[in-house]
Amino acid sequence: MSGAPVPPAASVLSVQHLSVLAKDRPILSGVSLDFAGRSLTAVVGPSGCGKTTFIRSLNRMVELTPGLRVEGTVLYVGQDIYDPHVNPVLVRRRIGMVFQRPTVFPMSVFENAAFGLRLVHESEEEIDKAVSEALRRSGLWDEVKDDLDRSALSLSGGQQQRLCIARALAVRPRVLLLDEPTSALDPAATQRVEATMQRLKEEIVLVLVTHNVGQAARVSDRVAFLHSGRLVEVGPTADILERPRDPLTVQFITGRFE
Amino acid sequence: MATANPMTRMLTPEDLLTDRSLRTRWRIGFDRAVGWVLPLLFGVAILPILAVVYYVGSRALPTLTVTVLTSTSLTAGVDVLGVPIICTFEIMAVATLLAVALGLFGGIATAEFLPDRLAGWIRTTANMLAGTPSVVMGYFGYFTFVLYFGWGLSLISGAFTLAFFMTPYVFRTADLAFTSVPRHVREAAYGSGAGPLQYILRIGSRIALPQILTGVFLAMAIGVGETAPIVLTTAAATIVPHSLFSPATFLTALIFANYGSSLGAGYVNVAFQAAFILIVVVMLLNVLVRIVSARYQKKLEGLYL
Repeated sequence: MSGAPVPPAASVLSVQHLSVLAKDRPILSGVSLDFAGRSLTAVVGPSGCGKTTFIRSLNRMVELTPGLRVEGTVLYVGQDIYDPHVNPVLVRRRIGMVFQRPTVFPMSVFENAAFGLRLVHESEEEIDKAVSEALRRSGLWDEVKDDLDRSALSLSGGQQQRLCIARALAVRPRVLLLDEPTSALDPAATQRVEATMQRLKEEIVLVLVTHNVGQAARVSDRVAFLHSGRLVEVGPTADILERPRDPLTVQFITGRFE
Repeated sequence: MATANPMTRMLTPEDLLTDRSLRTRWRIGFDRAVGWVLPLLFGVAILPILAVVYYVGSRALPTLTVTVLTSTSLTAGVDVLGVPIICTFEIMAVATLLAVALGLFGGIATAEFLPDRLAGWIRTTANMLAGTPSVVMGYFGYFTFVLYFGWGLSLISGAFTLAFFMTPYVFRTADLAFTSVPRHVREAAYGSGAGPLQYILRIGSRIALPQILTGVFLAMAIGVGETAPIVLTTAAATIVPHSLFSPATFLTALIFANYGSSLGAGYVNVAFQAAFILIVVVMLLNVLVRIVSARYQKKLEGLYL
């Protein structure tokens, strides 16, 4: 499912001393974090703590915002994604992303899921196979299999978001970044997206940004707590949420921020 | 019981929901008056349009026959519109093609690739170009294409001059259409591994196309009604042009040349017929603009969900 085998101990994604600056004001300062094997890491923190900037810097999406400067390294299976010889487009194909707002393209369900594959000119046969696989992995297959040609805009918000996940999965990325994927969804749709995340974390590396501690508790293996652009604490979900060591973390999970 | 209600006992003058003060009555009266005056002003505004359609139609229609529209031979005593119609069609085709090519590429480059400052300068320049008096444009075309390029008074000189007049309208809508694609759609495309060119060809153009089409129709409606750029760059041809470099004419040029004679009795109302055709064409183009932009609205509603 997740491409060629990687040595189990090696981290797929390794963030080292990552800083992001707007002019000279740091949004993120010196964050170091490793993402290994198959896991789901929840990045939590109060509004404006830099969690969205953090996740956007893991596949160079941050570069689409003018005026931001990135320092430090992000290694994807040993290669620095910010190396000048690296093509950001290829980075984003290996490290997929799902956004806060479900954003399907104005075309059919099938073509939405096939979008990334068409970009690399896969054969029709391969596209058919990859699209149905991706729709199954995202948990949308049963709802759309009878009419893959319907417009994606006719889907509900939750279905659209799972289609976005399928679109990202179709090119078989090894890492999937999820930036508050349920914040625009109702509870039922949220639950389905969470179930999808739980299945996917057995297959690839997931990085989930969420402002919802409950969601982190439900789906993540590990929680990283960011505050004012710094990584305050990181550890297994149960440890961080039940026995936080840092007073800032205590304040956050007991709801004294936001 | 009602008097026992504590709320009722505590009513103050501020609780009254009606007031008969002069100011309020004046305001309500004014609102009503506006409701009458605005439709009236609208009627006054469209009166000239209706008058033009009626007058031109009543002069043109009685003599407008299929022969007049299609015949290209100048038999004695009968003016026919075949040549100007064919010329208009050909000039518009070449001019539209050129204006779309220039405007589209310029618009996409400005919206997607150029640095903000340069893009700003180009937008200003395009607006200035759109505001240039058409006779100045004609003069520019005359010197550039007719004389400097040596194309003479010809179909292609007219088409190129007209194209420069139409380009800003295509440019502006293409630029606007691409810049107004929602940011999250752009990010989703990049996040799915699309490069800039793939984003433009597969996603951006799909969303921008209807708006660009309205720009093209608008440019055509404006172009087909221009007179000065054509009169200065094409000869008043009386036969169908056999190449791009042949003399040509235009429906508006025909009106320009014949309006004097058509007022006199005994002459065929060729200017009125040309004017009537132009009015119909421009109206059709405007209806197309309305239809396409309505569909565009519908499409974007889904995306802004």
